[in-house]
Amino acid sequence: MRSLSPRRAAFGILLLAAAGQAAAQAPAADYAAYPCLSYSLECGKLATRRPQLKQLDGALNGNAEKGKQLAQARNSGNCLACHVMKGGSQPGTRGPDLSHYGNAGRSDAETYSMIHDMRTRNPDTLMPPFGTNAILSDPEIRDIVAFLQASK
Amino acid sequence: MRPNMPVLALAALLSLGALGSAAAAEPYREHYPQARIDPARGVDGDIGFSDTLPFWRTEAELERNAKWVGDPHEQWKLNWKFMDLDRVELHPGHLAVDEGEAMAARLGQRSPAFLLCLADGGKDLKGRAAAYPKYDAMLGRIVTVESHIEHCAKTVLNEEIRQGSPANNKLAVYFKSQSAGTPIKVDLGDGKLMESYRRGEKLFYAKTGQLNFACATCHVPGSIMGHKLRGETPTTPFADAAHYPTYRTPVGALESLQERFARCHSQMRTLQLKPGDPAYVDLEVFMTVLSNGYPVSVPSAR
Ligand code: HEC
Ligand code: HEC
Repeated sequence: MRSLSPRRAAFGILLLAAAGQAAAQAPAADYAAYPCLSYSLECGKLATRRPQLKQLDGALNGNAEKGKQLAQARNSGNCLACHVMKGGSQPGTRGPDLSHYGNAGRSDAETYSMIHDMRTRNPDTLMPPFGTNAILSDPEIRDIVAFLQASK
Repeated sequence: MRPNMPVLALAALLSLGALGSAAAAEPYREHYPQARIDPARGVDGDIGFSDTLPFWRTEAELERNAKWVGDPHEQWKLNWKFMDLDRVELHPGHLAVDEGEAMAARLGQRSPAFLLCLADGGKDLKGRAAAYPKYDAMLGRIVTVESHIEHCAKTVLNEEIRQGSPANNKLAVYFKSQSAGTPIKVDLGDGKLMESYRRGEKLFYAKTGQLNFACATCHVPGSIMGHKLRGETPTTPFADAAHYPTYRTPVGALESLQERFARCHSQMRTLQLKPGDPAYVDLEVFMTVLSNGYPVSVPSAR
């Protein structure tokens, strides 16, 4: 048995901690409808869906409570991966803090368009095109806009 | 960092020149803005990139910065290198090396030609893994440690030891352990490897999948690298290839570098490719060149 130096002991503890956060594997989904890196499969030849400016049609009619859940769920919007948001745990830090977004006085329409496809404002954005790539449906984006506007 | 206007204009001009006549057939594809990486610098290219290399380059530096282990803001700067070799007590990766060694001995008993094939005709495996991936003129393709094992098993033993299988990973981690400490030296003088590097580099910046992410979305300066992505923080891609296959503590199994690519792809909601896929081979060449000059560091755990 080797002796346990303090440094090694610390690393050992970390090893255990890492075991605890075993990330739930994403369900095996069919992503072949989007571009992939293959040189031979069809998805390797698919085009990126072009940036799409979509206007909010009619009144918002969003449900803020539903929007909150959609924004947090890893298999849905998962906005928390990059943004601090109201009521979310383990937020990401790369995007702007959205926890008081409702105080910024941005319109529903502008917010809707940004979530639908941020590339229309910033071609190099890190943010996924949630509407264009069908990650979120129109009613789901409305719910999230309502949640953001209610975040004060 | 966003490229400034003159750089963009220059890039536009260059790409016009490169497009040529086939341009019309190419589908519209988006790419993350390319970071400047000079392949000739190997792992030193991290200087001016993530600039974390000085914190994890040597044993002494890792020791000096051990206070960052477990610190959610600082730990990413160590590129997880404190998890390599015998820096962790009772490292499960060591057991995997032992199992791989026993397996190699067993297969070698069945047919000594298997070990000879693994060693490319040499007497042992010492230092050999550090030169992978390499171009095999006879096979006419680029060979990784994992594909080499698969090839030897098939041609000599008539047995399938597929890349990405637990048996292949065990043999690979043993094979690489025979080069532990040897600086990685992918041959940049080989034209075929450089072509592969350039293809791999292009793939690294190509946006894919439902989330429209590239590898670079998370692994270059100015991207998500160094920032929290919920519970995780993506780190520099420099020197990653050095510690693969790695023992994944959360699932209690070895994982090859190409299996890790597939795991990132699943997070990116992008179709996962199989270990050995030509695109993954090119990505592995790209990433291993980013480890040139850094010692092979198996066994490791992540
Ligand atoms: C992968 C990272 C990432 C994810 C995931 C992400 N965002 Fe963003 N978001 C950003 C970044 C980065 C910006 C800053 C603007 C830019 O760079 O395009 C931003 C900007 C924004 C803005 C504009 C804020 C402002 O003050 O101008 C809003 C609103 C927003 N995001 C909402 C969302 C919502 C809602 C979701 C989830 C449905 C989401 N984001 C998911 C990275 C992300
Ligand atoms: C959405 C974010 C994201 C994208 C996109 C992404 N990765 Fe990762 N990657 C991570 C995170 C988080 C980790 C774990 C922390 C770390 O070691 O960097 C990781 C780890 C890795 C590792 C293991 C590093 C180690 O030290 O063991 C490799 C190799 C890797 N990524 C390669 C890639 C490649 C190649 C691609 C593109 C095909 C890619 N990644 C795309 C987030 C991402």
